[in-house]
Amino acid sequence: MFEATAQNRRNRKVEGLFRLLFLWMTCMLILPVALVLGVLIVRGGPAISWEFLFSPPTNGMTAGGILPALVGTVWLVVVALIASVPVGVAAALYLSEYAPDNRLTRAINLAIINLAGVPSIVHALFGVGAFVIFFRFGTSILAASLTLAVMTLPVVIVATRESLQTVPLAFREACWNMGATRWQTIRKIVLPNSISGILTGVILEVSRTSGETAPIMFTGAAFFLPFLPQGVLDQTMAMSLHLFVISTQVPDVPEHMPFGVALVLISMVLAMNGISIAFRVYLRGRKKW
Amino acid sequence: MKTASPIRTWSTLALAVALIAACGGGSSRSVIQNKGSDTLVNVAQAWAENYAAVAPETAVAVTGGGSGTGISAMINGTVDIANSSRKMKDSEIELARGNGNEPIEFVVGFDALAVFVHPDNPLDEVSLEQLATLYGEGGDVDTWSQWGVEVPGCGSDEIVRVSRQNNSGTYVYFREAVLGDQRDFRLGSRDMHGSKDVVDLVENTPCAIGYSGLAYATDHVKMPCVRKGEDGDCVSPSVDTAIDGSYPIARPLFMYTAGEPQGAIREYIDWVLSDEGQCIIYEKGYAPRTDVDCS
Repeated sequence: MFEATAQNRRNRKVEGLFRLLFLWMTCMLILPVALVLGVLIVRGGPAISWEFLFSPPTNGMTAGGILPALVGTVWLVVVALIASVPVGVAAALYLSEYAPDNRLTRAINLAIINLAGVPSIVHALFGVGAFVIFFRFGTSILAASLTLAVMTLPVVIVATRESLQTVPLAFREACWNMGATRWQTIRKIVLPNSISGILTGVILEVSRTSGETAPIMFTGAAFFLPFLPQGVLDQTMAMSLHLFVISTQVPDVPEHMPFGVALVLISMVLAMNGISIAFRVYLRGRKKW
Repeated sequence: MKTASPIRTWSTLALAVALIAACGGGSSRSVIQNKGSDTLVNVAQAWAENYAAVAPETAVAVTGGGSGTGISAMINGTVDIANSSRKMKDSEIELARGNGNEPIEFVVGFDALAVFVHPDNPLDEVSLEQLATLYGEGGDVDTWSQWGVEVPGCGSDEIVRVSRQNNSGTYVYFREAVLGDQRDFRLGSRDMHGSKDVVDLVENTPCAIGYSGLAYATDHVKMPCVRKGEDGDCVSPSVDTAIDGSYPIARPLFMYTAGEPQGAIREYIDWVLSDEGQCIIYEKGYAPRTDVDCS
């Protein structure tokens, strides 16, 4: 009675085929990541040493280490985070918790989406005009980080807003019914329950900020500066630009060096992401629903 | 619900990261911002690196981008010293003056522009006139056989012209010295964004010809000698022929400061022009401005 018909068998075959196809596509996704990491470890691995990480470049940047670039990238990322996270989270809170759905908020949403689509080189030119020249920050960490902050603001806003919206409305209503104000509700209920999503936004921002080259090239990153920055108005070297420079501008760079720089840059991003992910998992574990 | 205040968590995190970033403080020092020519950028880097030992209290921040980038930064007043592989134009000097930055010019060395071809290319000499009909607007040379040259490995016979992007001082000088002020480049060249990129491309392309600073020459490219006029001597590019003026496409390299340099900037310029600084430019494959003994 339940014997498979020809139609059934065909369906099962097609089903299996699609399963395989999707599996294959998924594997294709991992392939580039694995290849990039593999090549970097094999070819850049020999370059890595304490001296490479903790000394300035020497001999026309063909020897020595990358310390100023490493510290410079940390500076750029941290200052960009300090500038963009409070603004981004506040904007997302307003849009998600306070704003009525009217023409203005729809326009703001449209602006955020468009800001996310602006190419990084355009942000770079904006940064030169606004921060370097108009606000007279000069080419400095401050100007570069603010440019990066403007560029990554949409990422933070969108991630935060989405994570705020995962907190069920019933939680808020319960809170309001107890007589809590909106801000009390946000502080005690909404933020604690959405912090892991906000961190996701920050992770994305860190990865993007540390890898960007165009926005910092004209606003604050130096080709060569053998000293560590001492404040936000100093110029600095940065890993991404250093990688570009030693691969395309400097003659006679030993082959393992650019790979080493790329490996350190990727490890740095992975490490920063790792910390955030661990923190996120910890917070999620404490979630009560 | 017992949860740590997100605000406290955040501030702790921010503080921790800020502390990591803040390590490496120290005494105050002056920073000289030095930006411009890609031709000069590696020399500028070498100067900055060596100057760190001479005057540890002065930091020189070097940035590339092209002569045009350096000059516009000088006009905007966002740089202390602009590097340029061409002279500032009168219009640019006017603009800088308008912003209260009187540009002061220093010749810091000379550069021979070498013509590069693939090592398999049998071309041994080339005249300025030939280069002009190849690169200039209205020129009609497209194939190697038009020059009577057969290049092994270049099946198409097409001459791949390698040039530079138009804010490059090398581009501007090549136009001045080879094409003449009034003549434009012909379209269809590969415009590279760095001196090293030109040499890299020519190394790997049998059909290619390109021009770049002599300092970027490698063992894997060939540099034909260059002749000015049909019966002039054919001179090979070298530091010596650039110094004695016999090589036809050699140009001065400049540093510009905004106003007569003072303090740390003055000391730096003086050091660049000293024998020690000039020997560094010599080691990098450029010609020093005067004869120096660099043994």
